[in-house]
Amino acid sequence: MDRTAPMSMFDYDARPVTPLPVIVGTTASRGAYAIRDFLSRNGYPFEWVDAGQPEAVRAVLGVAEVEPSALPLCILPDGSRLASATVEQVADGLGMVAAPARSEYDLTIVGAGPAGLGAAVNAASEGLRTVVVEAVAPGGQAGTTSMIENLLGFPDGISGSELATRAVVQARRFGAELLLARPLAGVSADGPGYVAELSDGTLVRGRAVLLASGVEWRRLEVPGIDDLLGAGIYYGAGPSEALACTGSRVAVVGGGNSAGQAVVRFSRYARQVTLLVRGRDLGASMSQYLIDHLSAIPNVEVRVRTEVVGLEADDRLRALVVRSGDGEPVRLPADALFICIGGTPRTDGAAGIGLATNAAGYLVTGGDAAGDPGGSWPLDREPLPLETNMPGVFAAGDVRCGSVKRCAAAIGEGSMAVALVHRRLAEVGGD
Amino acid sequence: MTEPPAVANPEVAVPSEFAELASDERIAVASAALERNGIRPLLAATGADARGLVRSVLTDGAEVYNNTSQTLEAIGVADDIERSGRYQPLRLRLYRMDREMQRREMRTLAASPDYVVGSVHALTEDGSLLIASASGSQLGPLVSGAGHVIFVIGAQKIVSDVAAGMRRIYEYCYPLEDARARQSYGVPSGVNNILIINKVMTPGRVTAIIVNERLGF
Repeated sequence: MDRTAPMSMFDYDARPVTPLPVIVGTTASRGAYAIRDFLSRNGYPFEWVDAGQPEAVRAVLGVAEVEPSALPLCILPDGSRLASATVEQVADGLGMVAAPARSEYDLTIVGAGPAGLGAAVNAASEGLRTVVVEAVAPGGQAGTTSMIENLLGFPDGISGSELATRAVVQARRFGAELLLARPLAGVSADGPGYVAELSDGTLVRGRAVLLASGVEWRRLEVPGIDDLLGAGIYYGAGPSEALACTGSRVAVVGGGNSAGQAVVRFSRYARQVTLLVRGRDLGASMSQYLIDHLSAIPNVEVRVRTEVVGLEADDRLRALVVRSGDGEPVRLPADALFICIGGTPRTDGAAGIGLATNAAGYLVTGGDAAGDPGGSWPLDREPLPLETNMPGVFAAGDVRCGSVKRCAAAIGEGSMAVALVHRRLAEVGGD
Repeated sequence: MTEPPAVANPEVAVPSEFAELASDERIAVASAALERNGIRPLLAATGADARGLVRSVLTDGAEVYNNTSQTLEAIGVADDIERSGRYQPLRLRLYRMDREMQRREMRTLAASPDYVVGSVHALTEDGSLLIASASGSQLGPLVSGAGHVIFVIGAQKIVSDVAAGMRRIYEYCYPLEDARARQSYGVPSGVNNILIINKVMTPGRVTAIIVNERLGF
């Protein structure tokens, strides 16, 4: 999407003929990165113009310089401009923010990752009035994965973004609604059902709720790291940044499949990719096919028992200081660091309703929920499998305590949850 | 990409005979011939009418690929496909894909859309359609990959026979398209591939909308 890059014939045929939104900003801007990341993860094509390139700026704005306070600047397809643009403004300007079409749903699904979309397809296909609310973009963590090679039915693999795109099309075809770009602000009881409130005040009434909100990347504790967010430091696999990493030195922190997938993607663009793993080996956390794949890529280095202990930067990241085992800290030149470690369960919006979690914050379900220390389970029956300690509130995928952190498992849990939702709806009547 | 077989100079005048609208009689002759050849002909008085006809043929929610076409841009069909939200516009989906990691997905996606909407470079009075392409990537779906094909054809593209159609491609369309490609993309065009559709064996698969207006080139 670099306007100055030479165009292949494939680009010639794949390029939209109608205007794209244009984002003008600096490469070191956190706000500009947030917009790029948001659009990229939503599969919304855009053009990126580096404000430090006068000719590129002139080509879209007619002048060579932009007032810094106006950055990031977004030019919408209709020609209107958003100065100092935010993700919310861009999403609204592009018509990505929709209101719910119904006054009540049978099932409100929170999160449009593999678990949420798996549930949406199954629920809508079985006739349930289904809505999915998603804070950022469909696909969840899997949506940023470069190539999933072990998902049943895709012998040549499928990219996370394509899987998410197909799942959204499939869910919508069955009648499910998706409300994007607004996080869940809260959930409250509403008779036998629940009302979900989104960050913009939108209310979504559902007879049952499925929390499939997944996890967010765990923060890396290194001095000064927050100042470099978007300026060389990125959480997640950063698909929007792959092209910008051409010829550069990239480091990825993490030992799971997401980290491995990020390394595969960046190895196609970057001069050198270094995977930094805290554990002794990758086998405990990464699929063997990915480990084999990484070992065969010549510009990939894997360093185990290694941690990031410091950063060197001017206006953006220039190098890491890493320590392996008990050794001395050493300098590792790096233009970008992608952090794909662990996960923190994303339960913020639903926390206030009194959901039981384990010590790490994952939602407790099934038999474990019945015996939660608060003794809050109110019914004579036991909680259904995947049901939390709140009747009619279910959990599936990475956010659930005890879940297997794999895409296929999340899809399966989402599908399974729908069968349990039917039982709950029959219990409260009207199913 | 191979170099074009002829020298293109946008400053050189193109033959005006290929810019003149066909008479109503010739439109009727070509339309009847299309029908005999298994292609559904539809007639539109204006570009706006043609836009409405395209909408009436397309199915909501379908995967639609709009070929690079001045005609489609001029009458708003490209906007309808890429921006209306009624369809799954494949150009947008392809554009955002990772050229390194998703090449295979791009290839398969582009090869088999539910609908292709495009234009032609010549329509003969005996119902043959001629389409030239620099990359050739758009020709496979027209022949068999796409579920349905919709052509929107300005009536100035009607020629007497295939030989005249070839002349129209080389002497008229190519210089204009080459100038456009150089200006828009910074690359030359080329008559690298030519598709001639004489007959369609699947009834209803191909629709040709003839517009009584000068559209595209």
